[in-house]
Amino acid sequence: DVFFYQADDQHFIPRSLLIDLEPRVINGIQNSEYRNLYNHENIFVAEHGGGAGNNWASGYHQGEQFVDDIMDMVDREADGSDSLEGFVLCHSIAGGTGSGMGSYLLETLNDRYSKKLVQTYSVFPNQVETSDVVVQPYNSLLTLKRLTLNADCVVVLDNTALNRIAVERLHLSNPTFAQTNSLVSTVMSASTTTLRYPGYMNNDLVGLLASLIPTPRCHFLMTGYTPLTVERQVNMIRKTTVLDVMRRLLQTKNIMVSSYARTKEASQAKYISILNIIQGEVDPTQVHESLQRIRERKLVNFIDWAPASIQVALSRKSPYVQTTHRVSGLMLANHTSIRHLFSKCLGQYEKLRKKQAFLDNYRKFPMFADNDLSEFDESREIIESLVDEYKACESPDYIKWGMEDPGEANVVAALDSKLVV
Amino acid sequence: MTDQQTQDLVKELVHRLLSAAESGGRGGGRDTGGALRFAHRILSSRLAPAVLPDEHALAESIKRRLAASGRPDDALSFADLHSKLSVRARPASLWPLLYLLDSLSSQYRAAAAASCLPNLPIAALPQNATSGTAPGAGVRPGSRTHGAPPGGLVLVSKDPDNIREIALREYTELVIDETEVSEAALVRDVLYACQGIDGRYVRYDKSVDSYDLPDGVRVPRSTRTLVRKLCELGWLFSKVRGFISDNISRSPSDAATEVGTVTQAFCSALQEELSDYYKLLAVLESYSLNPIPTPGSDSGVSSNYLSLRRLAVWLAEPAVRMRLMAVLVDGCRGLRGGAMAGVIHGHAQHGDPMFQEFMGRLLRRVCSPLFEMVRSWVLEGELEDVFAEFFIVGQPVKAESLWREGYLIQSDMLPAFISPVLAKRILRTGKSINFLRVCCDDSGWADAAAEAAAYVGTTTSRGGLGYGETDALEALVVEAAKRIDRHLMDVIHKRYRFKDHCLAIKRYLLLGQGDFVQYLMDVVGPELSEPANRISSFQLAGLLETAIRASNAQYDDCDILDRIKVKMMDHGDGDRGWDVFSLEYDARVPLDTVFTASVMKMYLKVFNFLWKLKRVDHSLTGVWKTMKPNCIVSSPFYKEGTSIRAQFVSVLRKCQVLFNEMNHFVTNFQYYIMFEVLEVSWARFSDEMDAAKDLDDLLLAHDKYLNSILEKALLGEHSQGLLRNLFELFDIILQFRSHADRWFERIYELQLRGKGKSKSKDTGSWFDGGRKAMIQLAGELFWKMGEDLDSIAKDYTASLDAFITQLPMQQHVDLKFLLFRLDFTEYYSRVSSNK
Repeated sequence: DVFFYQADDQHFIPRSLLIDLEPRVINGIQNSEYRNLYNHENIFVAEHGGGAGNNWASGYHQGEQFVDDIMDMVDREADGSDSLEGFVLCHSIAGGTGSGMGSYLLETLNDRYSKKLVQTYSVFPNQVETSDVVVQPYNSLLTLKRLTLNADCVVVLDNTALNRIAVERLHLSNPTFAQTNSLVSTVMSASTTTLRYPGYMNNDLVGLLASLIPTPRCHFLMTGYTPLTVERQVNMIRKTTVLDVMRRLLQTKNIMVSSYARTKEASQAKYISILNIIQGEVDPTQVHESLQRIRERKLVNFIDWAPASIQVALSRKSPYVQTTHRVSGLMLANHTSIRHLFSKCLGQYEKLRKKQAFLDNYRKFPMFADNDLSEFDESREIIESLVDEYKACESPDYIKWGMEDPGEANVVAALDSKLVV
Repeated sequence: MTDQQTQDLVKELVHRLLSAAESGGRGGGRDTGGALRFAHRILSSRLAPAVLPDEHALAESIKRRLAASGRPDDALSFADLHSKLSVRARPASLWPLLYLLDSLSSQYRAAAAASCLPNLPIAALPQNATSGTAPGAGVRPGSRTHGAPPGGLVLVSKDPDNIREIALREYTELVIDETEVSEAALVRDVLYACQGIDGRYVRYDKSVDSYDLPDGVRVPRSTRTLVRKLCELGWLFSKVRGFISDNISRSPSDAATEVGTVTQAFCSALQEELSDYYKLLAVLESYSLNPIPTPGSDSGVSSNYLSLRRLAVWLAEPAVRMRLMAVLVDGCRGLRGGAMAGVIHGHAQHGDPMFQEFMGRLLRRVCSPLFEMVRSWVLEGELEDVFAEFFIVGQPVKAESLWREGYLIQSDMLPAFISPVLAKRILRTGKSINFLRVCCDDSGWADAAAEAAAYVGTTTSRGGLGYGETDALEALVVEAAKRIDRHLMDVIHKRYRFKDHCLAIKRYLLLGQGDFVQYLMDVVGPELSEPANRISSFQLAGLLETAIRASNAQYDDCDILDRIKVKMMDHGDGDRGWDVFSLEYDARVPLDTVFTASVMKMYLKVFNFLWKLKRVDHSLTGVWKTMKPNCIVSSPFYKEGTSIRAQFVSVLRKCQVLFNEMNHFVTNFQYYIMFEVLEVSWARFSDEMDAAKDLDDLLLAHDKYLNSILEKALLGEHSQGLLRNLFELFDIILQFRSHADRWFERIYELQLRGKGKSKSKDTGSWFDGGRKAMIQLAGELFWKMGEDLDSIAKDYTASLDAFITQLPMQQHVDLKFLLFRLDFTEYYSRVSSNK
């Protein structure tokens, strides 16, 4: 009942809206085996079908135009919920639709449903290959502002890391979108398991997030999952224990954020919080032993300014999903190394901005009319401040951080930005 | 028979010696009797010859004497006779014979020489003296007929003193003869005594509590002693028969002292033993009618006569058994039922085969009622115990208490040959049958009982078991217990779904169904903030129903959902709804045997505790929602000037840090409760539930489960201090929640006003004045917040320090894991070491 409702004809229909500015992806869904799954009234495709042209401003502007239609759908679904807790937004931050229109939706949801949670699964662009979206740094920066101000929780899904995992762990020489997306869906499914199979704890979204996000601005989470498989590896059978799972979740190779792997400053990075969701046949006493082992070996580096520990949630496994492992696990973690991902975005943005490249496409839209680029500047300030706060969390004196003169903070941020560059 | 032969020979000898002296039969019998008594006295005495027993020396002496007397022919005849006799006779008896003959011969000569023989009143002697013939001539009958009347002549010649002496001796002998009690009379009296009857001479003496001959009766000491020993049997017999008659004749209306079946069986067995005794006495009585033969008289005497000696031999073995019965009777006095059987069994531990056989026979009778009760109880669940003598007692109780209190072992009535383990099994088997019949409304147990009986080889009818077959009894009990227990477990688990109800209690009373609890707290929370007196149970019940329908609980079984009810605990004027709210589970028969009223009270205690914990957690998540990121991070106060912004950031940081500490504590404490207390206890209980073979095992497993939860959840008696400290922490957290609600309500209100005023930028002076006023209000609010936060943080830190300090001193080992969780990063260790 959390993610589905039962229709009059006994079908279970997902509480889901499919929104796009061009028809290609949604048409693909409507022509697939899942065409009868969704409520057709919950599908929105812009009539012109032209998309956002990988332009955040275009997406944002179209969001403003179509907001009534979209919010009608949102309101209808919200009215049909007995106890609405929040919204989950899945989007990309690098293109035009997910970034621009997504940003507008975030602002609107925050305004109209201010008491409800907003969680996003945000796909960050691949940094390794040459992107087909040359202006993605502009789009990412502008989206990150909204993710910082208008979201309660952002689960970061870094395409760089997903691609690395697909190549190195799953041995796929040229992974397809379907294959990397299956990793994303695995993570999304695992992270909502305790909502779908309620137990003693972690039965609602806020219960999960309250422990993970002790300080409001640091609400960007990274994920790890083990064991990772794709369909052609189903024949492998492993005897997996809880300790195996919990230990592997802490290994770099299983983390779905690429900045975690930076060895340059890895020793300084710290966990703010960890939640492990363990699925399968688990003896409760094994969890105890696993935690003791992890602590003895000092496998986790936690913050110093507050008490912290690994939260463990045990959950049942879906009977409809065939798996090759008796036990699997997902880690949701708040880790200070996430700031390097943001710093990289800032660096790329600075390069483009300095050259005044591709800005004409943004000037065409009302937010940037009359050559008013203050939105860019404001976004940069906010992200720099976010990076600074994550950095401050690595220090035992975090509690006193932020009380100083804002001028000093800006100076520090500027210096940090240059280092990144 | 040797004694009899000796007596016969002595009698013959005396007769032959005296028969020649008889004249006309006058006083012949009396003389013979006297001589015989004299002979017996000599033989019974300790007189011994003065010379050493040397046969050849004596023979030579006799031969020399004959030769010297001028009888060489006689000497030769003697030598020849002696050599022949030596060949035939045994050497040991030859010398006494020769000595006897020689002594008699010497006595005879001495008598002839003397005028009178003082000790032997032989009438022939004076005759010899008067005739003056040679000693050899005296023995010839012809010589005796020629003499004149010797009495007159001799008496005239003797002095008067001698006559008086002879008369006195004859008188004394007459008196003794008249006062002596015959052996036959004594034998008869002893037989009477053996039947508990006073005889002519042998009577029961109350003062010494024994049968005895009065002192006035003149009998030899040895005879008296023998009579007393023989009469002891009578004393024992009286005791045994008294016990039997006492118990048989007891009034039926006297319920307190009614004779039980075991006592009846015991009396019956004793009666049977006594019947054998009676037969023996009858035979002995018929033997006693035969006269005791005198020595030398062979004709007309039966060999089945009774003397005291013979009687002693006859009664030796019955006396042993009678003594044993008397001991048993003494030991069993005042006892009944199994206790009596136990005492009797105690005496059966004997190495003597006669004892074993006797006791075995007795105990088979005595234990038959007991074994019948065991069979009836174990195969039918029936307590046929009219006289309260079985070691299992039933008492009237309600259905829910039938198992725990309905039937108990009366250890006094438990015989020693039934071990405590077997007794417990017996108790449980019959209890299971009654439980199935009364509480479970089940009749399938009869098939299980019949199968057990068929398997063991006994029958379900009576009389199949007896003493000495304890192995068979045990086999029957074990088999019946196994099958009936298995059947009971099947009924409990399959028909009454015990595990499902335990799981339901875990989910709803122990708050395992988290989404249901979450929703319930959302809907009843506002109600519970009211005073308890003003809360309606009906409204809470409705809200409970709403919570069930809105969560995954709705998919649970209707039977289970119907049993979940709202219960308001006892409350006073000062209590609020939060303090007294509880859920309860309607267990119903037969599951209320496990979930008794006291057990459900413990569950409510756990529920109340978990509900408090959930409330605190719920409050903290409420705080997080109040200051959730997209509300706080977008706050316009971040865009304000230096002073107000720094103040805002400072107070916000304090709030977040304090929240984080509280949330860390509550989250990890809940984790401890979930894993270490509930899930681990449940996992063990689940295993033990599956492994339980009988209801006692199941009850034990459940008690262990519940006590484990109570102990580890700080609800045991050892954790009162820690629990008090915990509730202090809870109160501080709730206080923080209420403060936070007010603070952020004010902040958001100010933000709204700020937004409203910022749209009116065109109004110059009014806008500036309004803005400054708002900033001042915000400043005051932030300052107050800071003060309150510092105060709450101080209280919280002190309370938490006390809690963490107490944890290592707790007895339960699992509480160390709670400390391990709370201080996973050693944050508190560092903080305390820094102090």
